[in-house]
Amino acid sequence: MSEITIISESATPTQGNWVNGAACIDAASLNDAIGWELKPEGLCQEDTCVPVEDRARIESGDGIDIAEVARILGRPSLLSSSTNTVTIGQPSVIRSRALSEREAPNFTLKDLDGEPRSLSSWAGKKRLLVAFSSW
Amino acid sequence: MVIAVAIDENVQAITDLSEGISYPVLMDPNHLLTELYAISNVPSVVWIDENDKIVRPAAAEFGTNTFTEITGISRETHMQQVRNWVHDQIVPEDASYVVPDLSEEEIQARLHFRLAVHLRNEGKVDDAETYFDKAAELAPLDFTIVRASMPLRGGDPFGEEFFELYQKYQDAGSPFHGIPRSK
Repeated sequence: MSEITIISESATPTQGNWVNGAACIDAASLNDAIGWELKPEGLCQEDTCVPVEDRARIESGDGIDIAEVARILGRPSLLSSSTNTVTIGQPSVIRSRALSEREAPNFTLKDLDGEPRSLSSWAGKKRLLVAFSSW
Repeated sequence: MVIAVAIDENVQAITDLSEGISYPVLMDPNHLLTELYAISNVPSVVWIDENDKIVRPAAAEFGTNTFTEITGISRETHMQQVRNWVHDQIVPEDASYVVPDLSEEEIQARLHFRLAVHLRNEGKVDDAETYFDKAAELAPLDFTIVRASMPLRGGDPFGEEFFELYQKYQDAGSPFHGIPRSK
């Protein structure tokens, strides 16, 4: 076992191995890393479960294939064995719904005092979302 | 209300820029917003209504007229459009524009950028450089990738390399995820 860091909303170190190019991580770390668990009914987050058709593709004696989990959840991933990291993006369907059906994706980011704030906390108001930068 | 999101990791620079501002300013060092909303440059402004519907998708709008000569975009026009929306529910015609989705390369570029930022924070500068380079290869005209990485790599986002990027961008027909402008 070595350490593989999963980078999604935050960076989470997990125990895992690189097996034929796949990042296999300890099942117990999956929830910490991406907020989903592998249960008998599938991949689950609270009351929501996504069925897993071919369980052998994601689960083996080496652990859970994290890129395969990301694929099932519709999230892009970047495997980097040289840096022992797996970077997982947001579900592509959230962005495509934003663009085609105009549903504003919620997000949580820290304000300048380090307090987490969510778009949804200002629901019920008209909002101008302004993306800017110092660069 | 205005919610400002800094596509930036430099808390000090953003704190300085935000002096005297009363609306919320959020930090997005991992560029989450550029992935969720398909944003490729700043400033980009999105109008969201009371029911979480996007009324007008990303458009370049400015708080000042400093760049009006270059961009053809006037602050007053946008402010009047916002007032018409807030008071009379009138939205401009260009609001129906459908922003194209990110390409596979642009999605991967965002992951490469995010990894580079993580590696840089871990002090792994050489590895970070490798992934900043790969991100820029994947999305060479995306300002949130190429220009945003300049200060993280010891470069100058207002210097020669920015003008080179801007020239390449214009030569390519100014590809932008947002409402296109005539100028």
